Amino acid sequence: MNELVTLRRGIYHDSVSLMRVSKALSDLPGVEVAIVAMATTLNVGLARDLGFEVPACEPSDLLVAVRADDPAAAADELDRLLDALSRQSAAQAADLPPRTTRAAARSVPAGLALVSVPGEHAFAEALDALEAGLNVMIFSDGVSLEQEVRLKALARAAGLLVMGPDCGTAVIAGAGLGFANVLKPGPVGVVAASGTGAQHVTCLLDRAGVGITHVLGVGGRDLSAEVGGLATIQALRMLDADPATELIVLISKPPDPSASATVQAVVAELSTPVVQAMLGATDLTSATAEALRVLGRAVPEWPSWEPDSGGRAAGGRLLGLFSGGTLCQEARLVAGHGDFTDFGDDAYTRGRAHPMIDPSLRLEALDKAEEGDTVLMDVVLGHGADPDPAATLAPAIAAAPARVVVCLVGTEGDPQGLGDQVSALTRAGAWVFTSNADAARFAGGGAR
Amino acid sequence: MNSLLDGVPRVITAGASLLEESLRAQAIETVPVAWRPPLPGTEEALARVLADPRRPEANARAVQRLLAAHPQLVGVVRASEILPERTFLHAGPPITWERASGPMRGALIGAMLLEGHADDPEQAGRRIGTMTLDSCHHHRTVGPMAGLVSPSMWLFEVRDAVHGGTAYCSLNEGLGKVLRYGAYGPEVLDRLRWMDQVLGPALRDALLRTGPIDLRALIAQALQMGDELHNRNRAATSLLLRELAPAIVEAAPGHAAEVLRFINGNDHFFLNAGMAAGKVCTDAARDVPGSSLVVAMARNGTDFGVQLSGLGERWFTGPAGVPDGLYLGAYGPDDANPDIGDSTITETGGLGGFAMAAAPAIVRFVGGEVADAVNATRSMYEITLAEHPVYQIPGLGFRGTPIGIDVTLIARTGILPVVNTGIAGRVAGTGQVGAGLVKPPVEAFTTALTALANSISPQ
Amino acid sequence: MTVTAQKGAPRRVRTPVTGAASAAVRPVLEAPRRPARVLAVFPAGAYLEVRTELEPSVIAVITGTATRLPNALLLPGPLPRLTVGDEAVVGDGAVELGPLSMRVRRWWDPAPHTGRVDPVRLERALPALAPDGGEGLAGNGNIELLTRACRTGWLLGVLTAAEQLVGLGPGLTPSGDDVLAGLLVTLRHIGKSAGVGQAVRVGDWLGATVTYDARTRTTPISATLLHCAAQGAASPEVCGVLRAVAGRTPLEPALSRLRRLGHTSGSDLAQGIAIGLEAVLGMAGRGGLSGEAA
Repeated sequence: MNELVTLRRGIYHDSVSLMRVSKALSDLPGVEVAIVAMATTLNVGLARDLGFEVPACEPSDLLVAVRADDPAAAADELDRLLDALSRQSAAQAADLPPRTTRAAARSVPAGLALVSVPGEHAFAEALDALEAGLNVMIFSDGVSLEQEVRLKALARAAGLLVMGPDCGTAVIAGAGLGFANVLKPGPVGVVAASGTGAQHVTCLLDRAGVGITHVLGVGGRDLSAEVGGLATIQALRMLDADPATELIVLISKPPDPSASATVQAVVAELSTPVVQAMLGATDLTSATAEALRVLGRAVPEWPSWEPDSGGRAAGGRLLGLFSGGTLCQEARLVAGHGDFTDFGDDAYTRGRAHPMIDPSLRLEALDKAEEGDTVLMDVVLGHGADPDPAATLAPAIAAAPARVVVCLVGTEGDPQGLGDQVSALTRAGAWVFTSNADAARFAGGGAR
Repeated sequence: MNSLLDGVPRVITAGASLLEESLRAQAIETVPVAWRPPLPGTEEALARVLADPRRPEANARAVQRLLAAHPQLVGVVRASEILPERTFLHAGPPITWERASGPMRGALIGAMLLEGHADDPEQAGRRIGTMTLDSCHHHRTVGPMAGLVSPSMWLFEVRDAVHGGTAYCSLNEGLGKVLRYGAYGPEVLDRLRWMDQVLGPALRDALLRTGPIDLRALIAQALQMGDELHNRNRAATSLLLRELAPAIVEAAPGHAAEVLRFINGNDHFFLNAGMAAGKVCTDAARDVPGSSLVVAMARNGTDFGVQLSGLGERWFTGPAGVPDGLYLGAYGPDDANPDIGDSTITETGGLGGFAMAAAPAIVRFVGGEVADAVNATRSMYEITLAEHPVYQIPGLGFRGTPIGIDVTLIARTGILPVVNTGIAGRVAGTGQVGAGLVKPPVEAFTTALTALANSISPQ
Repeated sequence: MTVTAQKGAPRRVRTPVTGAASAAVRPVLEAPRRPARVLAVFPAGAYLEVRTELEPSVIAVITGTATRLPNALLLPGPLPRLTVGDEAVVGDGAVELGPLSMRVRRWWDPAPHTGRVDPVRLERALPALAPDGGEGLAGNGNIELLTRACRTGWLLGVLTAAEQLVGLGPGLTPSGDDVLAGLLVTLRHIGKSAGVGQAVRVGDWLGATVTYDARTRTTPISATLLHCAAQGAASPEVCGVLRAVAGRTPLEPALSRLRRLGHTSGSDLAQGIAIGLEAVLGMAGRGGLSGEAA
């Protein structure tokens, strides 16, 4: 094995794009490990942990560290990939693209800014948006609580909405922002402190033939004592004023008591009925059923599929390998036992892409499961997610000695196509459920 | 408040291109931001300054004053009327003889000789310590290149008709071997004496007849005639000459021909009046607590200095760079002195390099193509707070020039102000060797930002 | 699942592209594959006629700033070069046209949502909706009959006038159809949000009547748009005026956006909306349908 460590000046690409490049390099034959990342303290630390000797550098440098049989070949491929990235960004805006959200907002009227720069820099872009009178969705995590409060207070004063920080999912009039599904238009509006929670509820509604107006994410900390539900309240009022929204579903983690009291007081004032999905108090499937009942719609049987040929026997441990934090928490509660890991948690996403994009950590964990174990996992489809999760998952499932139960969150309209994913997964021997609670109940029975 | 939900919005995207791609796949209009991390080491200061609740209004107020200022040329006065005893003013942040560069020393020597404080250059150098040296900017004054102001020089006096401020700038000596480029030979001193005895009084008397001349209107017109008001002042000089000529003939019939010939022979005659106009406008934007607006950029041949509205008269400096440009005759980069002069007040006030797109005739300075000039101006909109309501650029559809540099935007984008400049010879006495563009030192801006952050009291 | 059903359609590898579409076209798009052909081509769009009994049977494939018709599929990039008569395939979730295979990644709701509306507000909106001279059928006797009959809830009059108006006028969307489309959408939505059930019922009758044989009485695109209107689907310009009429947004800008559409289409649609408002106001507070002229 040979090593190659280089620093390149004057090149910048966003972390998600670079992670895709890293992954493409790592997948080359003869490459043991490849890191292509901006030389931030974190990334340099990661490279050093992997045994690379990294010279002194600035965070604005591009760090390349490769261990491979033939690092020069990998470097050639890297040049090709980076060149493709640069050409892509050059083509996007041939002449002088705006360099800040502020400049973009001055160049042309817009309604929303979607900020996904590294968290420590997100404040400036979000502030630009608010000062330009735009609503903002902050996909980035790692924004300080103090900055979150300041942004949301400014937004409230200006009648604007700040979705996030760490807001992964929103849908505005059908437009999916971040991780979101292709949903039909309909009467339900969603306010959610949990992105995957919102995806699960809206996909079940879609399955029941009920469409949605908007999904407004508020970020996981909105209902903390410090933030006090500022965005939740703003989002509830916006949906209440929206004539297309006939029912609001409010999805939250267990909130701070004082924030909860403020939000409940607002809920009581609204003229639109609100169904609340408070995790811990209910599960997402039950909350969806409740929403359907309020709309006067029948609650269907949530579809599930057996493996094409004899699923494996259970009886051993129950292992939950999740990409969505809320789904993980819910499944643990419903199953009542087992060993659950949320691979979307910060501890697992430092320096690598979210498991909804990069499945490698979960595949490793699946590989370690033993005969008799039950592995429960979520697979989330939609915009922004892995374009074909079953392509990597199905072979791993087929090879695993454990029984695999999948909660598949998605719609038929999603780019990946729910039906195609179901076929691939059941062919590989997995049990597939559309309801996470159903999946957890099934997986929990028969496993210890 | 519900406009967000009224339909699919156009979305500005900053960050991961994956998210932008997935919006385009839904036929949603996007405006991608070509985001880059801020200048290294500025993250913390940026966060504090941006979070300062005073900032939006402070900047709005400062830039509003900058835009509203209305400069008028009201007189020409002898510097002895405003200078303190035994004081010379110079360009840029304060500097000592010891740290002064060749052209600055040459100009100081010339001033000593001109004022009769020394008989020869060596003596002048020895006796300079008996004089008080101070920055022009500390006396509501600006001066091009060395920016030397000594008592027997005459100054344009410009008043802000809106806010009442006053600013001064010396009279332009012409090109070639001149004091402001550090030349002090006999022909330089003879010319300065003629300016003191003939030109200054003639202009003073002429202005008494014309009354105030509206520089704001004149600059606006000159921009539309192809000047950017720093390296090209041909149109503005012609316009000013048109205003002044009849009054000069009436006020100084005996000298009218030589005075008019002198002005006509110098395409940069207007530069100094324009600089005083820039100074009076940027001064109007000073001293707004919390504002991150740049109110002065100036060089003394050694340091490049910056002042912020929110930080009074404090200077933040970095080493002055050597301009990149075109050279006269056989001169080359080795002959060039580091950047010098207060003329960057034009860029601070939204002209010069910032208005490059208005001056296709001098695009050679910025790379040779008209597109380079247009891009130079367009990139300045990234780091400025406003567009000038009156100074407009025909080639950009009469868009106002970018004005009001915000130091936070420099730190965020890493884009530095585009500065047009003349190039002085390195050796005292050489004079002008070229003209071109100069890159300001980034630390002048980053230290200013840090100081602004430190000035914010913890909440 | 085979592609060979289309005789003569060459097998080709198509470039996948994705975009957005009105939810109204979802049934046609998701039905099994059907042959289609290009009916008309514009700089920013083309109409495809699909051989199907479903509606909308004409799909507008559009791009750029083209009007988001209720039967439209919107692409983010430019359309390929097309010629009238080109063959296409629609169904199984895709539109295959020229070198492209288009799929939908976003569905928009083509219906206006006005919220509850007070008849007093409708009264206030009427003057701005008065004919501006741009209407294709100014002074036509059947328009007058339609207006009068609507105002009094005289169903037979409404249907008689409508019969005469379907397909009346020149162009791809004849003026008579545009007036009827504006009227249909207004009766359905404003009737409902103002709580005037009679207006909604008149709208149902009118919808059934004009769509019954629309395919034989007017152009295919116009027939499809009448079907959409009968279902309550319209372009954002029409929805914008209805929202404004309900007092949610300023009326003048919405109205001028609508009137800019097409040659006379915008003004004709506005006229239909105005007739619809008069109908809702006229029927407000009265009981059942009237069988005779008042």
